[in-house]
Amino acid sequence: MKRINYIIIAWILVFHLFSCMPSRIVRPLDKGQKTIGAHLGGPLIGFAGTTIPIPFTSIIYAQGVSEKTTVFGSIHTTSLLFGVIQTDIGACYNIYYNDSVRIGFSVTPAINMAYDKWEGNFKLWPQVDVNMYWDIKPKKSFVYLGVDNWFELSDKKAHDQDQTNRWIINPQIGYTNVRKKWNHNIEIKYLVPYKDNEPGVVDYKGINGKGAVGIYVSFTRKF
Amino acid sequence: MKKLITYTIIAVTLSSCFRLDDNLFSPDNKITEYKLDNYDGEVHFVLDASYAIPSNLIKIFTLNSQSPSESNPTTIYAIYIGETNTISVDTVIMYCHGNSNHMDYYWQRAKLLANCGSKNNYGVMMVDYRGYGLSDGEPSEDGLYADVNAALKWLKGNGLTNDKLVMYGYSMGSAPSCELTSKPRAMVPFKLILESPFASVAVMVQDATVLGMPSSFVTNLTIDNAEEIKNISQPFMWMHGVNDLFLNIETHGQIVYNNYQGSYKEAHKINGSDHSDVPLMYGFQNYCNDIDVFIKK
Repeated sequence: MKRINYIIIAWILVFHLFSCMPSRIVRPLDKGQKTIGAHLGGPLIGFAGTTIPIPFTSIIYAQGVSEKTTVFGSIHTTSLLFGVIQTDIGACYNIYYNDSVRIGFSVTPAINMAYDKWEGNFKLWPQVDVNMYWDIKPKKSFVYLGVDNWFELSDKKAHDQDQTNRWIINPQIGYTNVRKKWNHNIEIKYLVPYKDNEPGVVDYKGINGKGAVGIYVSFTRKF
Repeated sequence: MKKLITYTIIAVTLSSCFRLDDNLFSPDNKITEYKLDNYDGEVHFVLDASYAIPSNLIKIFTLNSQSPSESNPTTIYAIYIGETNTISVDTVIMYCHGNSNHMDYYWQRAKLLANCGSKNNYGVMMVDYRGYGLSDGEPSEDGLYADVNAALKWLKGNGLTNDKLVMYGYSMGSAPSCELTSKPRAMVPFKLILESPFASVAVMVQDATVLGMPSSFVTNLTIDNAEEIKNISQPFMWMHGVNDLFLNIETHGQIVYNNYQGSYKEAHKINGSDHSDVPLMYGFQNYCNDIDVFIKK
């Protein structure tokens, strides 16, 4: 079906913003290390006869507080343009690392909060990322595989309808190229792969009519 | 550094002006004239000659529409199908069109309604909202209501009485239809028909996000048909495509239908129909018969 109007693209620009960022921290930083990163990307959609990723942006600051723990905070810059202050604050904890095979597991709980200046509405979503990563060389570039979990605390939607999407699962796979001062990352996330992507106002590109595939890139400066 | 970031956030937030309000509207205002039957743009169906409207029953004219926030009126275009000198005794359908294109695109639908029941049976009024077709101005929520109300004023001025006014809203047109039936201005409709309505801006946002996100995060629009319908007591007819890929029948139309608490309602869920082809998949004859029966009930 030809969508009613692809100008509605603009609706999407922020609609999925709130659940469409890449993994913040997968492998903890060294103790005392600080980074500032820029994240760009979003789910693939059909637009004007082609497929594009939606260019969401955010900026993240992270700091290693121990060898196993890194804390971080972000600001969603695209949201700001819409008068919404949105941030996610959390910590990445390395729960296991095997030196011989250079495989580690990390868990990253976070709180994602948003507040709009228009009506003063506030929302909060707990989020937990669980990732397995493999250092291609010790302390160098790595690949990872994981799951991003979002939790909707409200049991009701608009018009007092039951909220059936209380736990949202997004599997992801990524690669981080580690350089001396910069890290470069690319991640592919499969957003809500178990949910039909039609009907809807957005022409999401998923697999077999389910979910949406997202592509993200990140650039991180280390200090 | 911290101060810089803080000031930047505050500055960007305070100066931010991106809202998605305008993106509800998808007007086509590139036309230079209304071509009606000669329109060669994309439409979802074209009626055969049996639905033709004689030229003497087609009136294209302008109206002055002024929303509460405007200091000067906006000139909009309107089409009336029917005898203008018998409006006082005719039953008229106020057709509020959807969010895209212009009246040429909706001409076939208006013709169909005019012929429900019998040949040229109903008067049909249609306007191009501001910013659509040849109408001046920019689309807005207030403008939608003002523009339809301007049409109702014209009908009232030509003798139409409340007991012969039927409000019909298709898709986005369900917003002015519900608003002006729930909170009447120039006239009070005696029947309401909604085709493929949306429940509210809040549902649009939540359908797209999966999460329970407040609509104020993205838009200042306050359209809420699901609440407006609670204040409407006039008989209500709802039709919606079961396969509507744009406005989900369950999360949009069904909510509006369920929330109606008036004296009479009827639902028509059209199998195989998407958002834009309800009359076609309904079958023109069935569509017209059901509308005619509903209006005369």
